[in-house]
Amino acid sequence: MKIASFLSLFLIAGFLFVGINRLHPVGQPLGNQNVFIDRTGELTDITYVDTMDDYYLRNGQRETGSNNIVASVVFDYRGFDTMGEASVLFLVVTSISMLLYPSIRLKRDTVDLRDPRTGFPMDMTRIVSNGTYLMFPLILAFGAYLVIHGHLSPGGGFQGGAVMASGTALLIISSYITSHLHRTYNIFSFFESLGLTIFIGLGFAGIGVTFLSNFLANTSPAFFGRVIDLGPNSGYLNSAGLLPFLSLAIGMEVFFGLSIILVSMFHLARKEKDEKGMIK
Amino acid sequence: MITSVIFIILCIVIIVTAMLTLYFRDLLASVVSYSVMSLVLTVVFLHLDAPDVAIAEAGIGAALTTCIFVIAVRLTRRREE
Repeated sequence: MKIASFLSLFLIAGFLFVGINRLHPVGQPLGNQNVFIDRTGELTDITYVDTMDDYYLRNGQRETGSNNIVASVVFDYRGFDTMGEASVLFLVVTSISMLLYPSIRLKRDTVDLRDPRTGFPMDMTRIVSNGTYLMFPLILAFGAYLVIHGHLSPGGGFQGGAVMASGTALLIISSYITSHLHRTYNIFSFFESLGLTIFIGLGFAGIGVTFLSNFLANTSPAFFGRVIDLGPNSGYLNSAGLLPFLSLAIGMEVFFGLSIILVSMFHLARKEKDEKGMIK
Repeated sequence: MITSVIFIILCIVIIVTAMLTLYFRDLLASVVSYSVMSLVLTVVFLHLDAPDVAIAEAGIGAALTTCIFVIAVRLTRRREE
């Protein structure tokens, strides 16, 4: 069994090393020429655009109005794939809930590990609970920043949602969420479904052209359609059209979905502890 | 020169920690080794000008997966048979 694991490790590493040869050189996404397509959309050298990634790198900023090319590929050019990924995550959360939800529903939900006088958890040291108290808002703010600025700087819905969910993990480990799990679970579940529904609804909003078409980009500044300057710049928040909304929907779905997984598994762990008589 | 040497050292650390993850019989040690691999991989992604992937790896690989695996190890056995 161990030998099979090591063999598969080396096989995957081999495939990755073969794949590296097909990539662009690091720091030179456009080869040796760093020319941009101007506002009128004229291709200066159309012979050079021979692959899809060259096309994205040269036209992404002008067509989608997003300074982050990765976000423009993930949410605009390949938005349908992102919807598939989000649906897969939704399915995973649903199946985990199907396995673990009955234990949450039937649990007597009375044990509260917090000190009623101070509100701090009792079975953790002060270092852990105070550290969580300081760190949790910062983690949440950083995750929200990643989600909201997904079309301007590195980040986006998936990354920001995962960062915020790691804040939930911190909250669970340091025993801040111990009571009212059933209610917490229901709220999280509602917002997770809402996120995916908003994503698919925004996809249908652009159905006049295609599903998930970015119909708001480069239209008017009032509806996130500000026309941006081409080339390296810091960008504007109200650009990129549909991308910030899709990013918000995905961030919501990922945050609450991963939090549901964490809450369910933590609940199972606590139930075992309870049956062994370790909670008074 | 010095950055490429550091880069190669980091790549070797990734491979070694990945093999340690398979090698350990103590599953908690295996999870910690996996977490170290994800953390070093984050630095490598950042060095390769891929901050999007680096953030995803740090959030999911280093933080969330470790947390879920620790809970799973606690719910089952700690030693691999």
